[in-house]
Order: sequence, then C-alpha cells, then structure tokens
Amino acid sequence: MTVRALVIDDSRAMRRIVTGTLEGFGYETRQAGHGQEALDVLHEGWVPDLCTIDWNMPVMDGLQFVNAVRSNPAWRAVTLMMVTSESEHGQIVRALAAGAHEYVIKPFTADALRDKLALLGLLPQEVSL
Amino acid sequence: MTVPTDSGERRRAGDRPPLVTELIDGATVQEITEQAWLALVGEDEVLVPLPAPMPADALSSWVEIVGPWTGSVVLTCGRDTALALTRALLREHAPEVLIKEEDVDDALGELANVVGGNVKAVLPGPSVLGLPETGSTPPPGREADTCRVDVLWRGEPLTVSVQSHAERENEVPL
Repeated sequence: MTVRALVIDDSRAMRRIVTGTLEGFGYETRQAGHGQEALDVLHEGWVPDLCTIDWNMPVMDGLQFVNAVRSNPAWRAVTLMMVTSESEHGQIVRALAAGAHEYVIKPFTADALRDKLALLGLLPQEVSL
Repeated sequence: MTVPTDSGERRRAGDRPPLVTELIDGATVQEITEQAWLALVGEDEVLVPLPAPMPADALSSWVEIVGPWTGSVVLTCGRDTALALTRALLREHAPEVLIKEEDVDDALGELANVVGGNVKAVLPGPSVLGLPETGSTPPPGREADTCRVDVLWRGEPLTVSVQSHAERENEVPL
C-alpha cells in the first residue's frame, strides 16, 4: 500500500529535499508552499498519511496549520510532523501540545527522518532500518 | 558549544550590554554551518576555515532574530557560489538545467534560515525567527558586535555573520 505525504515548506529547495527523501522511501508526495495551500489540498480530498510541516511560512504558518488540521475530525488520522529550524524547547512543546506527533529539527539527515518515520509506523516495509 | 543560561540576574541601566561574541563563539557558528552544509548541500561538502577576498558581486541572505538578543544571521558569498549552492540543494547537477534567480534566492535563504534557527537556539530566548531575505545589501550590523566566520566552500569564500542590529542595544540576561 502506498503511503502518502504532503510536504509543506515555503522553500522550494527544502520541499525538493524532503520529497526526494520520502519518495526514496516509497512515498507518494505532494507539495504546498504554506499552510493555507496545504489546507486547500486536504479540502480537495487528497488526505495524506503524513504531513511534514515547516514552522515559519508566509500566509499561514506551521502552527496555525496544525491547529486547523486538529480542529477537523475528518483529518484525525493524519500524522503531523514538524520539520523546522525552530529548535527552542518552548517551540517544540507548543507544537506537540497543538497536536503535532513528531518534531524534526533542520538540518536533518535522511537516516534521521527514516528513524522518526519508523517510530511513527510510517515506514514502508520494504525500507530497511 | 556555548549555551548561555539565564542566571536570573539582570543588567543594571548603566551596565554595558554583552557583545554577541560573549553569547556565541565562532566555533559554534562554524559547527552549526557545517551541520547545515552536510545535511543540505551534500555529505562530502566541507567548509575550510580560511578567509579570502569576497567577489564584488556578493549576494547575501539573512534571517532576523528578535528577542532578548536582536540581530541578524547573514550568509554572504559570490553569485557564482550562490548558483553552485542552489544546484547542490536542488540536486540539479546537469549544467544545461537553467537555474532561475528566484531559485537562488530561495536556496540561499533556506541556508540562512537553517543556520539562523540553530543560532537562535544557542542565544538567550525566547525569540522569534523572521522569514529569510536575500539581496546584495544585508541589514547593517555593528562591526565590533559581530561574530563572523570566514570559510571556503569548493575554494570560494563564504562568510556567516551573527550581528547585533546597528541601531539598538540588546537586553539579555547576564
């Protein structure tokens, strides 16, 4: 079964890096440049298994997006993973309290991302640890 | 790595505000930058700590940090170096692939964002990280209140500066 991920980041370069890594793990991916664009993707019916979410973005930031997703019961099954350079302890606590499941600090390696996905049970079985 | 802690003491009005070099050192800035390079630019990409003259067509990207310490983290390199960095980040190694100016702004900005976010974590907080900007004229800083690291990447000069804003004093815990 294909695992789907929505990669949300205002940086095209970072979206390319994250989608490339996830596609290497067998994911089907889509991209959004900010939280509102990501919500539009969900509203159109493309509901992913995983969202990777940058914090600082124009229009709608990552924390606002997490709050929006968590306020809609239809999206309860979506796993939310912050992937951000915001590494202050207080910010991590805020994101987790809002409903994010995991927090990855940029810069990250493909191995680090794979380990987090394995913990979340979102690593396709054919990808070895 | 230098991690300042809040002792609870506060500066008196007449005390000199600490210089940024009292809050973070060059070795820490370089370590943060190297981590960003290895993860984003490539596993084999090394930064050599050597100064070299910056080309006249230098391009900068920066993020602002606003909090107990307010200033900017500025990354500067030549335009050809910025283009090469963009190709590396986008994994576009074929020279015939056209890289747009907005791609260069985006890639250089993301590098500043990642370095800046990790610099912010070392400085006194809580603070807010701004969105990255790119241009030929970064915000002015105070020369005497700047932690600057000069490196070579693929033989080309690149600097990373953590600089207090020129127009304001910082209010950080002792």
